[in-house]
Amino acid sequence: MIPELTSAMGAPRVAAIDFPFGRPLGQPGDASTQREVLRATLEALVNAAAPSTVTELPFAWPEPVGDVHWHPKEPSPIARLLAQKPALFKALIAGGIPVAASHRVAN
Amino acid sequence: MTIDSFKYLSPTSTAIIRTLIAMGPGTEEPIPWTPLARPLSAATVTLVSTAALSTKTDMLFDTESERANPWWGDPSYRIIPRTATEGDIVASHLHIDNAYLLRDLDVALPLRRLDELVRAGFVGSIAPSHYSFQGYLLDPREFLSTSVPAMVEQMKREAVDAVVFVPV
Repeated sequence: MIPELTSAMGAPRVAAIDFPFGRPLGQPGDASTQREVLRATLEALVNAAAPSTVTELPFAWPEPVGDVHWHPKEPSPIARLLAQKPALFKALIAGGIPVAASHRVAN
Repeated sequence: MTIDSFKYLSPTSTAIIRTLIAMGPGTEEPIPWTPLARPLSAATVTLVSTAALSTKTDMLFDTESERANPWWGDPSYRIIPRTATEGDIVASHLHIDNAYLLRDLDVALPLRRLDELVRAGFVGSIAPSHYSFQGYLLDPREFLSTSVPAMVEQMKREAVDAVVFVPV
């Protein structure tokens, strides 16, 4: 849902869409938009001619950004932790994924 | 790029995502490129969702370990049959509101829409198996070394020509 991130990770063909997190195909019950988004995505697959092609799909979300709800009911565990411990956030954006990310149970 | 997904994100999340973008994929290998082997109207297509979906009869994703260690994300995957609907699905992603896809699965895993495109002749066929994993993986190495090869093997057994990867 963040085309720059998907592309930076090496996806060969990216279809970018301006829809909020959690609803990449459209609103619940809007089968028509969902179908057209999927069709346009598959057309982007067919039309891409070289690695790193990003195709921006021409769909507009029906709500203003300020009205869009997508966050979970309770903050994610990492959001809660970084809010409690800002030093961890600073260390992360300084370039370090902690080794705890590699182990189910942190030491 | 005129699309701006960052407008939905907090400054904290934006800074983290920009850090991940700057870090890149962690490999110098060239971006893979596989031409589509046959026209879309003859191709078998499968879907992969990052929404941590599992069927109610399958094992749940491990959200308890992520709550205990917020840096970690479950690197496993689940198979979702092509016939699955909202009523068959549990959603375990802790970073989005799952209510929308539980109301209408096609907002994140468009199985019915893909089936309609098959019946319209736009796509050749829909694979029997579709896939989901949990997209919050700060260290994706275990996912890449275990889940990805297993999904690829299943896709090869089902003669899949194209994969629509659907992030949430």
